[in-house]
Amino acid sequence: MSRKKASKGKSTCSSPSTAGLMGKGTGKPARGSPGIVQMNGVVHPSRPSISSSNEFYDIAFKVMLVGDSGVGKTCLLVRFKDAAFLAGSFISTVGIDFRNKVLDIDGVKVKLQIWDTAGQERFRSVTHAYYRDAHALLLLYDVTNKSSFENIRAWLTEIHEYAQQDVVLMLLGNKADATHDRVVKREDGEKLAKEFGVPFMETSARTGLNVELAFTAVAKELKHRSVKDPSEKFKLQEYVNKEMRSSGCCRS
Amino acid sequence: MEKKKKTNRTGHFAGGRASNRVDRVDPYGFERSEDFDFDSYEELMSEYLVVLTRRSIKWSKLLKSKKKVQKNVKLKRYVRKGIPNEHRALVWMAASGAQDQFEKNPGYYQMLLGAQHDPKLVETILTDLNRTFPDNILFSETSRPCLQKPLYNVLLAYGHHNSTVGYCQGMNFIAGYLLIVTKDEEKSFWLMDALLSRILPDYYSPAMLGLKMDQEVLGELVKIKTPQVWRTMIDHNVMWTLVVSRWFICLYIDVLPVETVLRIWDCLFYEGSKILFRVALTLINHNQTLIQQARSLPDVVQIFKQITQGPFVNDCHTFLQHIFTEPGSLSTSTLTKLRARCRSHIISEES
Repeated sequence: MSRKKASKGKSTCSSPSTAGLMGKGTGKPARGSPGIVQMNGVVHPSRPSISSSNEFYDIAFKVMLVGDSGVGKTCLLVRFKDAAFLAGSFISTVGIDFRNKVLDIDGVKVKLQIWDTAGQERFRSVTHAYYRDAHALLLLYDVTNKSSFENIRAWLTEIHEYAQQDVVLMLLGNKADATHDRVVKREDGEKLAKEFGVPFMETSARTGLNVELAFTAVAKELKHRSVKDPSEKFKLQEYVNKEMRSSGCCRS
Repeated sequence: MEKKKKTNRTGHFAGGRASNRVDRVDPYGFERSEDFDFDSYEELMSEYLVVLTRRSIKWSKLLKSKKKVQKNVKLKRYVRKGIPNEHRALVWMAASGAQDQFEKNPGYYQMLLGAQHDPKLVETILTDLNRTFPDNILFSETSRPCLQKPLYNVLLAYGHHNSTVGYCQGMNFIAGYLLIVTKDEEKSFWLMDALLSRILPDYYSPAMLGLKMDQEVLGELVKIKTPQVWRTMIDHNVMWTLVVSRWFICLYIDVLPVETVLRIWDCLFYEGSKILFRVALTLINHNQTLIQQARSLPDVVQIFKQITQGPFVNDCHTFLQHIFTEPGSLSTSTLTKLRARCRSHIISEES
């Protein structure tokens, strides 16, 4: 079965806004237009999740980690999932893998299904088929590796080509703890992010800096979109800025 | 991908005296994971050691009487029953044609290492150097000798030898295994060459066409042999690449247990890449009921991870017997035809 053939099949996840990843029993009929409206009224009491894990959730989203090889995608994921950083215990990711984590966002159990991908360029022809179904993309570069930063433009082009139009996107400058080896200034990251209108922050999988925040911000944005509550406006970058300040973390 | 937490070498394994008798590090230098089942392992090894001893005696006799390793029906049978680790380098080299290349090209490997290096290639390889078997004591930076430098050399030499491929992630693990088994850089290089230029399709080239082809071929074979599993994959919209790309790219390294992988590689070097399908089809066929129980795409992914663990794959000797019976017939001509069809299908879809 080929990539293209498969994608033409039962495409339950054709849009990032559809309820393709929602838990069973959430399927209130869609009112009016398709897409996010389907997720109205998703706040039900806990029910069995779709995965083999025993965690309950109300809504689920697919998040993908992308970026050059060695920027720390797997480390970021493990830091977020298990609050651990085991220096020198990671092996390079071949192909694609995922982990789940359920977050409590304002009383709603939001499950993030986080997909980790191989960074090497040639694997992209295998992995970009998955962008299409992603609700959010975390695009990483390594602040100690100039070329990983320079490749961000190419990544954005790739994302625009294969991901959904309304995908939630965030740019992360990882390894922010490595002060001595830093070659990409924080301002450069900010500038690039601004140019493309993408929220940005620096993270460190080693110290945990902003890792939780990055995923929480994405989860909040996705949850906000799905319940589509017009009374509250959620602005991802504003939230991130506020939380980063209040966290009082080092900003090198 | 995160490795399982390292074994606490200072001790405290709850109960189970087998944990005191069995080494914390396996014979290939890999630290056993925290959840390693020492009792089952000891039980299994008590039987497998008998097999190993018997095979070792037979192999010593066979190799003593021959000046050169010749491919024949008897040797093929011997290979399927497992090459003793002390003879692996010799037999792999002879059976794959690597020995011939090695002898025909004296000094070539050293020449590659001595030549000017492509900085881009160097950087790509260096990125993965610390990320190749951090759970193996032979690759730890503090170990003497440390295999990181030989690993770097083999990958660098290969990248220059075959500049179309250069370096592709996954090759680090393959070169790593070759170094563990042969303990020789140059032999590892020529075995790498045998794999990439003769035994495997173009898995590692930038277009990864061979990988895409074999994934599609596997799908076709599953459709014929276990149609319900094929149906499950369609129902949950699972692309084969999602569950099996690592199987092909890493030749089952870090997918199946080390000893099982080496037994598969014995056949891979002797018989060719068809064995990779036999392994995949056996895993799928043996677990088809389980796979069909999947209720979602994540379920399928989870199950495909699950089926590469446990007693069925740990017992490498029995597993190797299964792969030649369980999937049924798989002729070379069928595989050749399927590969040709899938390859042209992918090319036409991508253009």
